[in-house]
Amino acid sequence: MIELGLYFSALIAIYAIMALALNLQYGVGGLLNFGLVAFFAIGAYASANFSIAGMPILLSMVLATVIAAIAGALIAIPTMRLSIHYWAIVTISISELIRVISTNEEWLTGGTFGMPNIPQPFAELVPVSAYSSFFAVFAFLFLIGSYWIANSVAESPFGRVMKIIREDEDFGRSLGKDVSRFKLKVMALGAGMVGLAGALYAHLTTYISPQAFEPIVTFIIWAAVILGGKGNLKGSILGAFIMIALFNSTRFLGDYLDINAVTIANVRLALIGLLIMLTVLLRPDGILPERKKEF
Amino acid sequence: MLEQVLLNSVIRGSEIATLAIGVTILFSLLRFANFAHGEFALVGAYVTYFFVSVLGLNVWVAAALGAVLGGFVALLSDVVVFRRLRVSPGVVLLIASLGLSIFLRAVIAAIWGVEGHNYSDDLEQIYRIGDAIITHTQLVIIVVSVAAMAGFYVLLNRTQLGRAMRAMSDNMDLAKARGINVEVTIRWIWFIVGSYAALGGTLIAMDTQLWPDMGVHIILVVFAATVLGGIGNVYGAVIGSFMIGLLENASLAINWAFIATPFGYDGSLYIPTGYKSAVSFAVLILVMLFFPKGIMKGSSGDQ
Repeated sequence: MIELGLYFSALIAIYAIMALALNLQYGVGGLLNFGLVAFFAIGAYASANFSIAGMPILLSMVLATVIAAIAGALIAIPTMRLSIHYWAIVTISISELIRVISTNEEWLTGGTFGMPNIPQPFAELVPVSAYSSFFAVFAFLFLIGSYWIANSVAESPFGRVMKIIREDEDFGRSLGKDVSRFKLKVMALGAGMVGLAGALYAHLTTYISPQAFEPIVTFIIWAAVILGGKGNLKGSILGAFIMIALFNSTRFLGDYLDINAVTIANVRLALIGLLIMLTVLLRPDGILPERKKEF
Repeated sequence: MLEQVLLNSVIRGSEIATLAIGVTILFSLLRFANFAHGEFALVGAYVTYFFVSVLGLNVWVAAALGAVLGGFVALLSDVVVFRRLRVSPGVVLLIASLGLSIFLRAVIAAIWGVEGHNYSDDLEQIYRIGDAIITHTQLVIIVVSVAAMAGFYVLLNRTQLGRAMRAMSDNMDLAKARGINVEVTIRWIWFIVGSYAALGGTLIAMDTQLWPDMGVHIILVVFAATVLGGIGNVYGAVIGSFMIGLLENASLAINWAFIATPFGYDGSLYIPTGYKSAVSFAVLILVMLFFPKGIMKGSSGDQ
């Protein structure tokens, strides 16, 4: 039970990193990235491949982060001029494209069977009994680092320009800001963070397959950001905590009630859908609304 | 071979078009891409399944009832969710539709489970057209879908409601000023596009199989068709649907070796069937890169 709690703590940290990244893109920058899971997959597969090939794990995680960030920039360059709705559709299509590729290219991803036996960081130094605790702390260190980076960016002059662009792109342009360049940077930064989360996920579970990269991952993170409050970074961490708790707490219902696992899994998903709609309808600014400064 | 590819493309195109019409109209009126549209199809297909499997109705009678009920689900989603967000930016509507989509799919899967179903296990009458084969169901799918589209054409061009719809998509404020009851018209539109989607869902399930992920899988294809035809343009959406149908089928049938032959490649080169579902995504991305406003004229999508 404690083992499971530690596993979920690490998972919360991983989702919180992604929620921070999305909040930076959507909450601060106004970018509707519906393809988050693509970068999650890229980070996970990259780090898994590098570490299985024998590269030091920390180095493969760094490389995975960089590759995901580059992928984010590459996707952003040609699509940046599209209006938000088109962009939402294109990004979700890209994430599905990545998933189809990961299902088909067995040499790179193991295909539908996935990649087992992904090594874990510092596994030879930390005793097995303490490893779950270690990994939870390990993941939370990355979460703290991500929060620090996201917060510094949001509070910096760069973040202020992003908020201007979010509110009114033309106004940003009229101030002489290169809007596309700002969007590109925030896209690459967010994609890199999500890639890091993917790498952490691969090393946490030691097994990844295309099933782990369905669009539902993107939707859960969206729910976390909207529930927590867009533009409020602490809210995203809270939102990620609530979503993971909600998504996994009902897992144990089957032990007590005579309902099959599929039904429970879907009731849980229905709750998430309901939560998204209720938040949008009743509390559109989320639990912790963005504090807007008066200048 | 060629006949079969063309025939399969027409079947696929007719299925997609019943949904694409609705997505494009909702976009032109309410300014958002409705993620829940695939789930209206899902609801319709499962309601049809319920009537066939539990009540033993004829599948086409059941399909009609499924379409009506699908329309009511769409209407209800407007009354409960979207009506309250009329003044919100499109982003908010988009996210709400995402929540609705997750919710509806999960409810269906909780009731009927995740395994696939078929309306009937009987072997089917097969017709031959030249070298191509078409089943009786597929033939009826084409007929029903074409009839539905003709019906929509009449609705759009020959009725008061259709005139109101066109006026509103041209200029909402002017339509209001002219005395069109915008709210009533919007509700009618939800009902109509919902029942079209539900009918489309039944057609897809008849052609392939009924399972809860059907909506998620079809919606991106529908978006691709809509974007290809210029989002907001009804005729464009229909043409886009058939083009996607053709591209999906033709791209796998073509031997692409001719591209590689000049580089000394010798042999055949086909796209693996595993990539069939990727065709519409690839098309969508390419169209967005080279024709950001679609192939036909649509609305830009800017608010």
